Amino acid sequence: MRISYEWLGEYVDTAGLSPAEAAELLTMSGTKIESLSVVDLSEIVVGRVLEQREHPRSNKPLWIHQVDVGGGQTRQIVAGAANAVAGTLVPVALPGTRVPSGTLVRDGKIAGERAQGMLCSADELLQAEERVPRIMLLDRGEPGESLATYFPVEAILEAEITPNRPDCLGHLGVARELAAAAGRELKVDFMPTFTGGIEPPGTDLVQVTIEEPDLCSRYIGAPITGVKVGPSPEWLQRRLRAAGVRPINNVVDVSAYVMLEYGQPLHVFDLARVAGSEIRVRRAREGERLACLDGQQRSLTDRMLVIADRDRPLALAGLIGGEDSGVTGATVDVLLEAATFDGVSVRATSRALALRTEASSRFEKGLAPELALAGARRAATLVAELAGGRVHRDWADEYPRPQQPVRVRVDPLQVDALLGVHVPLEESQAILRRLGFHLRTLDDGAWDVLPPVFRLDVTIPEDIVEEVGRIHGIERIPATLPGRRRPNWIPAGGEHLPSRLREVLLGAGFDETVSSALVSRRLLERLGLAEGARSVINPMSDELDTMRTSLLPSLLLAGVLNQNRSGIRADLFELGRVYRGTLADGRAEEPTRLAALSRVGGDLEAGRAGFLRLKSVADRLAEDLAAGPVEYRRASAGLFHPGRTASIHLGGREVGIVGELHPATLQVFDLDGRAVALDLDADLLLAAAGARRARELPRFPAVDRDLAVVVSDAISAAELLATIGPAGGPLLESMTAFDEYRSEQLGRRVRSIAFALTFRSLERTLTDSEVDSLMASIRSRLESEHRARPR
Amino acid sequence: MINRVEELKEAALSAAAAAGDEAALEDVRVAYLGRKGRLTEVLSNLGGVPAAERPAIGQAGNRAKQEIGAAIAERAGFLSDSRLEALAETEAIDITFPAPPLRRGHAHVLSQVRRQLEVIFERIGYSVEEGPEIETDWYNFEALNLPKGHASRDVQDSFFLDPGEETVLRTHTSNVQIRGMERIGQPPIYIVAPGRVYRRENLDATHLAGFMQLEGLAVDQGLTVGDLKGTLLYLVQSLFGPQRQVRMRPHHFGYTEPSFEFDTICGRCLGKGCRSCGQEGWLETGGCGMVHPQVLRNGGIDPERYTGYAWGFGIERIAMLEYDVEDLRLFYENDLRFNRQF
Repeated sequence: MRISYEWLGEYVDTAGLSPAEAAELLTMSGTKIESLSVVDLSEIVVGRVLEQREHPRSNKPLWIHQVDVGGGQTRQIVAGAANAVAGTLVPVALPGTRVPSGTLVRDGKIAGERAQGMLCSADELLQAEERVPRIMLLDRGEPGESLATYFPVEAILEAEITPNRPDCLGHLGVARELAAAAGRELKVDFMPTFTGGIEPPGTDLVQVTIEEPDLCSRYIGAPITGVKVGPSPEWLQRRLRAAGVRPINNVVDVSAYVMLEYGQPLHVFDLARVAGSEIRVRRAREGERLACLDGQQRSLTDRMLVIADRDRPLALAGLIGGEDSGVTGATVDVLLEAATFDGVSVRATSRALALRTEASSRFEKGLAPELALAGARRAATLVAELAGGRVHRDWADEYPRPQQPVRVRVDPLQVDALLGVHVPLEESQAILRRLGFHLRTLDDGAWDVLPPVFRLDVTIPEDIVEEVGRIHGIERIPATLPGRRRPNWIPAGGEHLPSRLREVLLGAGFDETVSSALVSRRLLERLGLAEGARSVINPMSDELDTMRTSLLPSLLLAGVLNQNRSGIRADLFELGRVYRGTLADGRAEEPTRLAALSRVGGDLEAGRAGFLRLKSVADRLAEDLAAGPVEYRRASAGLFHPGRTASIHLGGREVGIVGELHPATLQVFDLDGRAVALDLDADLLLAAAGARRARELPRFPAVDRDLAVVVSDAISAAELLATIGPAGGPLLESMTAFDEYRSEQLGRRVRSIAFALTFRSLERTLTDSEVDSLMASIRSRLESEHRARPR
Repeated sequence: MINRVEELKEAALSAAAAAGDEAALEDVRVAYLGRKGRLTEVLSNLGGVPAAERPAIGQAGNRAKQEIGAAIAERAGFLSDSRLEALAETEAIDITFPAPPLRRGHAHVLSQVRRQLEVIFERIGYSVEEGPEIETDWYNFEALNLPKGHASRDVQDSFFLDPGEETVLRTHTSNVQIRGMERIGQPPIYIVAPGRVYRRENLDATHLAGFMQLEGLAVDQGLTVGDLKGTLLYLVQSLFGPQRQVRMRPHHFGYTEPSFEFDTICGRCLGKGCRSCGQEGWLETGGCGMVHPQVLRNGGIDPERYTGYAWGFGIERIAMLEYDVEDLRLFYENDLRFNRQF
């Protein structure tokens, strides 16, 4: 909302209050001023042109003026426009002055002639837009006077108005805020007096029917006859321009002016174009069309409210008027409309037509029906004044849903209790009165507060406290922390387990990514990950239309991006949610997952090494969480390599998958080489976390032995270890396989596997012969159960 | 015989004194005092010596051993000292030689900031609460006084998952307000809820369709606007240092009453106005307010007994202020040249 500071001055005394000070007061009381631009003409003086002659030698058209600038001084000034003839009053910028458009005026020569200043155009003084070079002519003033005498310092404040305050979408509302914040009185009453007295009564000139009282709670139709359509006076045009509205003619300008004053949108019909002198507020019929004032033809549906005459729609209620029924130069009699349309309905129509207007942006916030009357009275008065219209008595005023007065009972103690600062009673009451609230103290000390009719947002005591607080000054409330003596508390949580997961991956050299949760359904479908995927019905693009069901595509996309941009082949991980399925209430399962991706070289062994590295990560995660031993089972899954993939189990429960990615997966992303990935359900992982307990350190030495056997490819390391364990008995403290080796000498489809075994007794030092005999029994069990021969 | 001992002693003492390094000195020790050393040999072959002389020779031998031992020890000390003194030259390395990078991954800046924020609030008694991102209309809007069709929803243009617009990608973390009150039930309630939120915005340097917020909610007896202010001041000063101030400007949100926006004083100009704050002196940080009594009621809390305050802000916004990041899109692109800066 563009606010003219000069205009505000009509309602509140701004003497001694600079626009910047006013902006600060407004911002800190809830009307945020986002920018402030000042037009200050106090340095520009009035000059009287004494003599004008053409420049004798210039190529461009130039005129030389002798100008009386007051104080008995005459200056010679050169200008590029011819209209400042002798005897005219003109704005003069003397050397050293900077004109509002930015030029700094110097004492110099133009085409060889002395130039001691500048005659200004309206353009240069930011008063109007001029297409041709023309000096602005003044209709009054004495040479030497500051122009600020006639053009007060003007400042434009760009204000952000919150949706609960449509009353501040008008200068009067903002002036009321400023008055309250500055501790000044508002100079005008909200409700203008009624001025219409012309016969016949308006109700004879037009009949109004509201067919949809839920969508239109009030409709005032005020006939004004005998208007003379013409340009608006300069002051009104200037204010409209300052507020960003282009003047059209006096009648239309009045409706815009009152909207910018009160926040009540108005419309003016040419009464001669209202067929049957009938106004019907009804739903549009399917397929009805309306040629709108913006030149667009629009098709209407029965969900849209229109203002129609006997035959056809004349306007889209609360949005825009029709071309046929608008005011033109030939208009003589008009019907002034001031109505209250339902905000939800206006907003729905506005969205359906993708049309947002000054009117709709006000109606959609919900306006007070009482405001319509104030707007109608004010506009009628101005039309009479500026266009010579005759305002008839007894307007049509259909008001099927009268505004109910709201009363709020407030305990004054609540003010201090909620704000946390003491506001004296008298100050609270003064603040509320300045904001237009009526207040009565009841016998029990409570206040009976009657908010002003245009403040539909105030309904509960907290609203009243807010009014007091924001004008008293939020900056005056001391900052405190809550703290009460209490017998109960919520114990602080233990260790932050997600951080522990993250630490394992970071320590292993993986970089963390955070990716968009919205991905492309097309991509998910291509990867076979679209089952149970939830898509939005109104995406911004088909690249971001579906919630991801897996973290792996995000990691792969990040991998591609880095490969293409900088050639970094990084190890990546993400800890985040995926979304799938539909719960009874429409929501989805949102498990948190931990996924990692590692790019490895192109050969078979690199893939295997990468796979083992991710297994190390999984083992380490389980170890750090004290979640017990991890078990891997051969598995197959979409995206993954059929021969190089395992499911991961903790305590018998499947918690994820690790493996090399299928070459077809990499192809989708145009990635070269091989890649391995880990994808874990972080919730299950964290649920498996156990407590860590200290173990006594062993007092006797261990005996380490290596064992290598040659065994068929069909026998897995896990199966061999499952044999070694029982065969080694309780003295076998730990075991692992550490090498795998194939060669032609060993034979086809067999391999050598080396194991590292550690034996220890907690009670004594083991002898070599004891360990030898255990090793012998392990070898023989391996041989008998798996045909594993020693190497 | 005694002379022989004396000779060996003199020879050993001069050899020790002449030893140029610790290895040479060790050779001296072995040569005279070792198991097959010359002095040892002499003293162990006293067979031809008359018994009466043996004690005297024995004594002379022990004295000689002690003297030689002491001399060697002294020389050893000297040699060791000079070796250590010379280390600066003998073992010097080029300490300007660049070190290879220590391989460790970088935590994403948003998860660092998110965790930093959680810890700041955990220190003053808040706990972390999670909530769904695919949410019902009730928790995201209706229960927060944001009725259907109302203009107050316009600032949060939403992604819907069904034509009836009953399921929505949450537009703010405020859905956790009601869920948190319902889960905990009885005040005191002090929770923070970080997480992803979604709005239909065109992508640019300051807008993303998906971003992160951190919601805070306190419900207790007698909470005030002053308590809210103190909490935000504690947050901002914990993040940015004790010289940074907070200001609250009255604003409007359906779910708080009174409502405010809060700004952080610009770190460059401390309020005077400069280019980085657009001459305002203050940087918009988030929204906050006292929980609307109807929202408390919707969460099952009696507004006659309890009051509450709540706030929300963008986690990216904090990261931008903290690290001078100028383009939001960098956070979600995962270009490691960016990610590895943190």
